[in-house]
Amino acid sequence: MNIWRIAVKEMLVSRDVKMLLFMLATPVLLMLILGTVLSNAFSGSQAAGDIRVLYISESGVTADELAAQAEAKGVILEQASSGMEESLREVQDGSYTGFMMIKEAGIHYYGNSRSKLENGIVNGLLTGIAERSKLEATLTELPNEGGAAAAAGGNAGLVKETLLEGSPRPGAMDYFAIAVTTMSIFYYAATAGQLIDNERVRNTAARLLAAPVSKYEIFTGKVIGNVVLNTLFVAVVVFISKYMYDANWGSNMGLVFLVLISLIVFTISMGLAISYLIKGKAAGAVIMIIIQLACLFGGSYFQVVDNGDFISVMSRYSPLTWSNEALVGIIYGNDSGELFAASEAILLNIGISAALLAASIFIMRRREGL
Amino acid sequence: MNNVLQLKQLTKTYGDFAAVDQLSLSIKEGEIFGFLGANGAGKSTTIHMIASLIPITKGEIEVLGKNIVKNRRFAKSNIGIVPQEIAIYEDMTAYENVRFFAGLYGLRGALLKSRTEEALAFVGLDDKHRSFPRDFSGGMKRRLNIACAIAHRPKLIIMDEPTVGIDPQSRNYILESVKKLNAMGSTVIYTSHYMEEVEEICTRIAIIDHGKIIAEGTQAQLKSIITDQKTIGIEVRTMEGLNLEKLSGIAGVRSVEANEERREIRVSSDAEVNNLNRILKELLADGMEIRAVEERQPSLETVFLTLTGRSLRDN
Ligand SMILES: Nc1ncnc2c1ncn2[C@@H]1O[C@H](COP(=O)(O)OP(=O)(O)OP(=O)(O)O)[C@@H](O)[C@H]1O
Ligand SMILES: [Mg+2]
Repeated sequence: MNIWRIAVKEMLVSRDVKMLLFMLATPVLLMLILGTVLSNAFSGSQAAGDIRVLYISESGVTADELAAQAEAKGVILEQASSGMEESLREVQDGSYTGFMMIKEAGIHYYGNSRSKLENGIVNGLLTGIAERSKLEATLTELPNEGGAAAAAGGNAGLVKETLLEGSPRPGAMDYFAIAVTTMSIFYYAATAGQLIDNERVRNTAARLLAAPVSKYEIFTGKVIGNVVLNTLFVAVVVFISKYMYDANWGSNMGLVFLVLISLIVFTISMGLAISYLIKGKAAGAVIMIIIQLACLFGGSYFQVVDNGDFISVMSRYSPLTWSNEALVGIIYGNDSGELFAASEAILLNIGISAALLAASIFIMRRREGL
Repeated sequence: MNNVLQLKQLTKTYGDFAAVDQLSLSIKEGEIFGFLGANGAGKSTTIHMIASLIPITKGEIEVLGKNIVKNRRFAKSNIGIVPQEIAIYEDMTAYENVRFFAGLYGLRGALLKSRTEEALAFVGLDDKHRSFPRDFSGGMKRRLNIACAIAHRPKLIIMDEPTVGIDPQSRNYILESVKKLNAMGSTVIYTSHYMEEVEEICTRIAIIDHGKIIAEGTQAQLKSIITDQKTIGIEVRTMEGLNLEKLSGIAGVRSVEANEERREIRVSSDAEVNNLNRILKELLADGMEIRAVEERQPSLETVFLTLTGRSLRDN
C-alpha cells in the first residue's frame, strides 16, 4: 500500500504540463525530421545503380553473351550457385533484385516487388536477351512463388515476369518511430538519476524516513511510479507515430510494449544505480555520457549497418541495439522469430536491471538516509 | 504522568567528534519542551535520532516506554516531525502534500480526507488546498511544513526551528498552533533560536551545549540558577537621550538591554556590586525621566549567556 502511495506521488510531482509537452514534442518532431529527411536511405533495396540479378540458364545462351547484354544495361548478372528455390529466397530477402530462369522456351523473371525501378531496367534486358537469342515464342506456365504474376509489356509469351513479395522491411518513418521511441525511453535515465537526490535536496527524504515506511518501500515505490509514468509517456509517443505518421508498429502491440517496458525498467534501474554508485553531481554527467553513447551506437540517429567497423562493433553493447532489433523482429518477422527476438531482449533488459537494482539496494542499506 | 520520551545516555559521534554526548532526558506527557542551544549544539542531531532518521551511536531512546530500535514502526507512527529545512513537494498541491504524508502513517479513506482538511485548517491554509507551494510565501511554506507533520495526530510532535525566516504574523500563528496542539493532547519538543518564543510557550527547557544538557528545568528554575547576578528594570518616560555605552561602563554592569516598546531599560550586574545610585544618576544626567525602578528576574537570554558563554544567535 505504501509502495503504491509513493508510486502515485511520483506521478503527481511530474504533472508539469509544459514539461510534459516539451518531452512529447521532442521525440515526435525528431521522428518527423529523421523519418522524412533520411527516407532516401530506406528504398528497401541495395544502393541505387547496383542492380544484381541471379540467373540459371538451361538454354543455349552463353554466359558471355549474357554478360555483354547486361553490361550495356548496367546490370550485374551472376550465375546462381544453388538451385532455383534458394535463388528465389535471396530475391525475396532483398539480396538480389531478381532471378532469371532462361529456357529455350523463353525467360521467366522473378523480381522483388519492392524494386520497381530496377525491375523496369531488367525488363529491357530480358527483351534483348530473348530476341537476340531467338528463344522460342512459347512459354510454359511456371509456378507462381507467392507473388503476383505480371506479363511484361510487348514481350508477352516470350518473357514472363513474376513479382515476388519481398520480405517487408521498415521504411524510414517505421525505423525512426522505433529508434526515436527507444531513444526517448533511454533519456529517462537522466531523470531516474535524480530521483533520490531530489528527495534529499527537497528534504522530503527526512519526512519519508521519519514515516513508518521502509527504505525498500520508498525505493520500490519510486521505481514503479516512474516505470508507469514513462510507460504512459511512451504509449503516447507510439500512438502518435502510429496514427499521425503511419509508422508500422506491426500487429503484435502487446509484445512491442513488453519490450519497450523492459527497456524502461532497464533505463530507470541504470539511472538509479549510477546515482548510488557515483555520489553527487558527477553521476548526472556519467549518465548523460552513457545515454549519448548508447544512442549513437544504438542507431537512434542513423541506422547502423553491420559491416564490422568500429560503430557496428560498439553497437552490439548498446541496449538500444538489441531492443530496436527485437522490435524490428516483432514487427517484421514471422511468428516464431517474433517471440524469440522479444524474449531475448526482454531477458537481457530485465536481467541487467535486476543486477543494477540489487547493487543500488545494497548501497542504500549501508547508507544513512536514502 | 507517563514519559512520552526518554533519552538514556544518548550519543552520536562522527569520527572523533561527539555531536551528541551522553545526553539523558525525560519528557512527560503534556509538556512543551524547549531545546535551547547555539548553532551546532546538537539539537537537530538529537531530534534526528529520536525520529529514526539517523542511527544511534550509543545509548537508548524510548518513545511511550518502548525502545525505538526494537519498535521502529511503533515509534515512528507516534511521532510527527517538523524538519528544520522545509520538506514539502513544490509540485504537489498543499492538499496532496498533507494527504500523501498522512497516508504514509496508515490513514485512509474518509478519515484521511478529514484529517488532511483538519491539518490544513489548523495552520490556516484551508483556502489553499489546490495551490502549489512553489507559489507560497516563506511563512505559508513553514505552515504547510507543520501541517504535513500533524495530520496523523502524533502523540509527540517535534519541531526543529519551525519559525526560521518568516513574517511576524505567520510566527504568531505557529506559536498559537503549538499551544493548541498541546492543549489537544500532543506533547511537543520545540527548538528555536528565538528566546522569546521559547519563553512564551515552553513549560520546560533544556539548555544544550556541545552535545550535552547543561541545565534543565522550568523557566523559573533556570532563572534561579543565576544567583550572582541581579537585574534591574528601569521604566522611563521616553528612550530619548539614552546612552547605552555609558551605562555599560559602570562598574559591575554586565549587560544593558533597552526595550522600546515597554520603555524599559534592563541592567544586569554583579549581585555584590552596589551600583544602582550610579546608574540612576547617569540616566538623570542625560535628562531622562524615571518612572519606576524594579528588581527583575534575569532573562532567559542572560541565563543562557551565563551558562554557555555564548549568545543563542550568531547574528
Ligand atoms: N553528518 C554529519 N557529519 C559530521 N558532522 C555532523 C553531521 N551532522 C551534524 N554534524 C555536526 O554535529 C554538530 C551538531 O549539529 P546539529 O545540526 O545537531 O546542531 P544544531 O544544534 O541543530 O544547530 P543549528 O542551531 O545550527 O541547527 C555540528 O557541529 C555539526 O557540524
Ligand atoms: Mg539544527
